Amino acid sequence: MVELEADDPERLAELCEKLLANPLIEDYEIQSL
Amino acid sequence: MIWGVLQFPGSCDERDALYACSAAGGEARLVWHEDRDLGGIDAVVVPGGFSYGDYLRAGAIARFSAAMEAVAEHAAAGKPVLGICNGFQVLCEAGLLPGALLRNENMRFVCRQLELIEEKREQLSGPGADEPFNARLSVPAKHGEGRYWAPEETLDALEANGQVAYRYAPGNNPNGSARDVAGVTNEAGNVLGLMPHPEHAVDPLTGSTDGLRVFQRLEGVLR
Repeated sequence: MVELEADDPERLAELCEKLLANPLIEDYEIQSL
Repeated sequence: MIWGVLQFPGSCDERDALYACSAAGGEARLVWHEDRDLGGIDAVVVPGGFSYGDYLRAGAIARFSAAMEAVAEHAAAGKPVLGICNGFQVLCEAGLLPGALLRNENMRFVCRQLELIEEKREQLSGPGADEPFNARLSVPAKHGEGRYWAPEETLDALEANGQVAYRYAPGNNPNGSARDVAGVTNEAGNVLGLMPHPEHAVDPLTGSTDGLRVFQRLEGVLR
């Protein structure tokens, strides 16, 4: 699990696709707290 | 032939890669990860190690470095790029090679000499092109995340296109890689990545010089 503060929550999916996850091998789920 | 060997924070095999490039008959210099200029470099080696501490995933941070932007352009121009171990992981993360490297099947770091089978690949043939392919190469492997994986349809395409450059010889697959794949190329054949370490097998002192063949084959891309 990765916790972070996001200035622009709308870009979280892009952040996951490009950095936080490798979509070829990993799934991800975004939870806003 | 001038080789450039990338150096990231956490790289640890760049010096051996420099030595191997020289042993293969070229000049070699280090390229710091912040350096965007590959001017004058004919071929690039992305070396082994633990770039950026393998933070997030192996290779996940390194792919965004300035040097890797230059490497992507270098590859797009059809020039040779060799990724070894962590370098292979970086090239996969960067999308320059297909597939991904997962944790070893037995979840343990492996460090041992093993044998590879060199698959036929015309585009990579250079010096030694007259030698038979399917040669067995003795090189060391040392990694914890070296299990090559790609979707079945991708594996089928890689085999059909001749993009599987190296396989582990029967009984030598140390990590559970799909179809015993140890190294692959991109579709054009100028980008090659493999998990074992040819740069550690270029001097009789360490028991094998078979690794030279990997560097010499990359030289063939320029011919």
